Amino acid sequence: MNARGAVTEEASPGLGARGQSALRVLGTALLVAVAYYVGANAGFILGLPASTPSVLWLPNAILTATLLLTPVKRWWIYLLAAFPAHVASKFGAPLPPVLVLALFATNCSEALVAAVCVRRFSDAPTRFDTLRRVAVFIGGAVLIAPFVSSFADAAVVSELKQAPYWLVWRTRFIANALTELTLVPAIVGVVTARSSWGPETPLRRYIEAGLLALAMTTVGAVVMEGLVHGPSAIPGAPYTPLVTLLPFILWAAVRFGPGGASLSLLCTVLLAIVVSVHGRSVATAMPSADSVTALQILLFVVAIPFMCLAAVFDERRRSNEALADRLRFEELLVRLSSTFVHLPSHEVETALETSVAQLGEFLGLDRVTLYRLSRDAGEEFAVAYTWSAPRVRPLPRVNPRKDFPWIHAQLLRERPVGFSHPGQLPPEARTDAETFRRRGIRSNLSIPMVAGGRILGCLAFVTVTVERAWPDELVQRLRLVGEVFANALAQQEAEDTVRASELMKSAILASLKSDVAVLDREGVIVTVNDGWMRFERENGGAPEACVGTSYLDAWRHAADKDVPHAAEALAGTQAVLDRSSASFALEYACRESGYERWFAISVVPLNVPGGGAVVSRSEITERKRAELEVQLSRQELAHFSRVSMMGELTASLAHELNQPLTGILANAQAALRFLDATPPDLSEIRAILSDIVDDDKRAGEVIRRLRGLLRKEDVRFRALDLNVLIRDVAKLLTSDAVIRNIAVRLELAPDPVLVSGDSVQLQQVVLNLLLNAMEAMAECAEDGRSITVRTENTDVDAVHVSVQDAGTGFHQGTQHLVFEPFYTTKPSGMGMGLAISKSIIEAHGGLIWAEDNSIAGATFHFSLPTAGARSE
Amino acid sequence: MTNDGVIVAVIDDDPSVRRGLSRLFRSRGYRVETYASARGFLERGDYARLACLVLDVRMPGQTGLDLQDVLTVGGHDLPIVFITGHGDVPLEVRALQAGAVDVLAKPFDDETLFSAVERAVAKNRAVRTLGERR
Repeated sequence: MNARGAVTEEASPGLGARGQSALRVLGTALLVAVAYYVGANAGFILGLPASTPSVLWLPNAILTATLLLTPVKRWWIYLLAAFPAHVASKFGAPLPPVLVLALFATNCSEALVAAVCVRRFSDAPTRFDTLRRVAVFIGGAVLIAPFVSSFADAAVVSELKQAPYWLVWRTRFIANALTELTLVPAIVGVVTARSSWGPETPLRRYIEAGLLALAMTTVGAVVMEGLVHGPSAIPGAPYTPLVTLLPFILWAAVRFGPGGASLSLLCTVLLAIVVSVHGRSVATAMPSADSVTALQILLFVVAIPFMCLAAVFDERRRSNEALADRLRFEELLVRLSSTFVHLPSHEVETALETSVAQLGEFLGLDRVTLYRLSRDAGEEFAVAYTWSAPRVRPLPRVNPRKDFPWIHAQLLRERPVGFSHPGQLPPEARTDAETFRRRGIRSNLSIPMVAGGRILGCLAFVTVTVERAWPDELVQRLRLVGEVFANALAQQEAEDTVRASELMKSAILASLKSDVAVLDREGVIVTVNDGWMRFERENGGAPEACVGTSYLDAWRHAADKDVPHAAEALAGTQAVLDRSSASFALEYACRESGYERWFAISVVPLNVPGGGAVVSRSEITERKRAELEVQLSRQELAHFSRVSMMGELTASLAHELNQPLTGILANAQAALRFLDATPPDLSEIRAILSDIVDDDKRAGEVIRRLRGLLRKEDVRFRALDLNVLIRDVAKLLTSDAVIRNIAVRLELAPDPVLVSGDSVQLQQVVLNLLLNAMEAMAECAEDGRSITVRTENTDVDAVHVSVQDAGTGFHQGTQHLVFEPFYTTKPSGMGMGLAISKSIIEAHGGLIWAEDNSIAGATFHFSLPTAGARSE
Repeated sequence: MTNDGVIVAVIDDDPSVRRGLSRLFRSRGYRVETYASARGFLERGDYARLACLVLDVRMPGQTGLDLQDVLTVGGHDLPIVFITGHGDVPLEVRALQAGAVDVLAKPFDDETLFSAVERAVAKNRAVRTLGERR
């Protein structure tokens, strides 16, 4: 992980306390200064003999390691911190300050060049665990940096010590290169070791490391002892015994990686230097400077392959581990997938809970939570299952939309979100980051759970004890897990929906008051409800037998037995099954032992791919009876109303009849007298008889009209001319109009105004409107009393009749009330006349309304469909 | 006949009634004039030649009672026999109070009619005799 280097200083960026951070920087700076001072002095000590250059020159490597481990912006602090240490280390040697400064500058430049090169070209500057990283380190820090910086340094030193320039350059280069090579990885390795040596590291690793250290120390001690006190080593090759340490370096390189390798190399180098120091007393033939160079080159040659070897091994080991890790993950995935395949929906919950826990344990996380997307209250995630590691407190109450608005939105867009620490979240996720910090969450990965293009929930992976990275590969795998879970949830939802709809279907069927049967395409009964079965039972059928029999056959048998309506029911049901008709409804009567029962059936198509139909049947005997009663009472009422209208007309009618009767009597008695005369005036008598006949006919007409109105018989619709009807009624009222001094004008359409209707009822309406009009003018001046009746064929399928009076009109806004039953403004009268007229007109498919005239009085209108245009 | 030269006027809006009454009166020897409305009668004028008026109560336009008022106001003391299709007591009372000889409900027997008319004629005669004596 790239950010690891910064961890020493910025492990808890979220803690945010500036003072704490400053304190840390100060501590590091102090540490650097001390290390530099100690390193410089060690370098002087390690020079052998005292006059020769150092085998190892530590300060530069210490600076390089510091720069690799710290952020670039703080480099100046640590370099400045090293300066006092540098000056202090030069106290022993009386050097001009300029030279001291120059030497510090060259030291710094080496560290800077090394750090810049490694940071620039390595993908992980503080790790030396791949061949590439080791190569970059060797090239940049071990070769280029000492190479470049040695030119300036050699110039200074050669001037100071009056030594040949190239000799100084070569000596410094080799010494510094060796130091960089062995010391930097060792320092960096030790500082960063806590990431790889945590509480999870198995005990055997510690034992192995301890054993290795013990073995190296023991062998080193033995070698040293042999070299110091034992028989002399091979002349000219005083370091040959060091070869005995190679297996241990190999062990370290193979088992503990580059860090282990560089530590063991450092030990070897230090041991070699000790040997050299003592080797001098043992006496060698070689001049000391050459001896040092030989040792350095030997160590160099040994160190480089070992470093590379360690890197290669480490790389191998890690890739093996990754492979094993992936394999285990694949196994987990397979296990999870197979768990959820064909899992009954009621076991999904338990399986999910178990799987969430398994996943958390497998990934070594602190908490894993499965949220489900609830669609009821907007799109919101709600906790479904959560697992927490034993050492971690359980999930606190959470409202994802409020607490993590940004992540919530990302997940709804099916985007996973992961971070190692909340500081990595973008600025727009401020609220989210704040919540994570408040809850002490270090790292989090949120994965949407998607199935069939639909988001069903999300998985949240959390660490609170350590920071954790979420490599793309892991995210991909967890998305797969999310998909497995999502599919399980989708399956469960689907099964629940099916079960719910089944339950609802049977509940609906059971709750229906009608008897219901479902037919397949052939008309065979597939299922029936309780009502249908009860009906079958009550009517002597076997209730269970009705399913599987043909509904069509039942009607067919009935039709064969000439049951009324059976043929119609058969054809209608067949038409719905054939889809040639959208629905079918029939009301029919069944006569059993003198008792008539009425049923209504309705057949509607079943909208399923296989076709079929739903038949519902209900008994409507009660309704039919009620309808009949209503109809009868309506007729009774209408009749009663007509009779009561006749009461109002009595005077008028008496006059209508008295006129012809008077004429007849007068004429007849005159005729008798004429007959007594001699000779009788026969022509006079003939004229008299003719008048009598006319008068009698006239009286007969009055009676006919009267009877027509008072007739009490069933309603019969037939075509009739409203003009004729209105004239008849108007004649009935002639006398009345005369008595009341009212002029009745008929402005009738020239053509017949044909409607289909019951003449008695329509006469009643007209009579009622005329009587109303007359009464409305009872209190008006006599000379203004007039009624105008108009008829017109308004359009092809409607006629319009209006009765206009010159009376008092309506009280403000009472037009609509006049048609209400029992509404009356008269002291006598039931207030039923207009209500009955309204029901008659509506039964004829027409409309009746009233309005005030602009000048005086009111006009009543009604419209009716033209004969033949009525759609019933 | 004793009735020769006695003129009876009949006013009724119904033609059949007019013709029937006209025949009855002629068969009894009266002379008859018929009018369809009060207006027609008033237009003719010259009431002195008439012995009696047979008048329908209800007619379009001016009613029989209206005509009675007109004649009374005009000082024409012409005896009136009302005929009516409505058995209307208040009307009857009013007509009689205003000096009508009788009010006959339609339809009526010829003897009833003649009796009423004879009373009217007698009344008319008496009035005239009184007038001449005066």
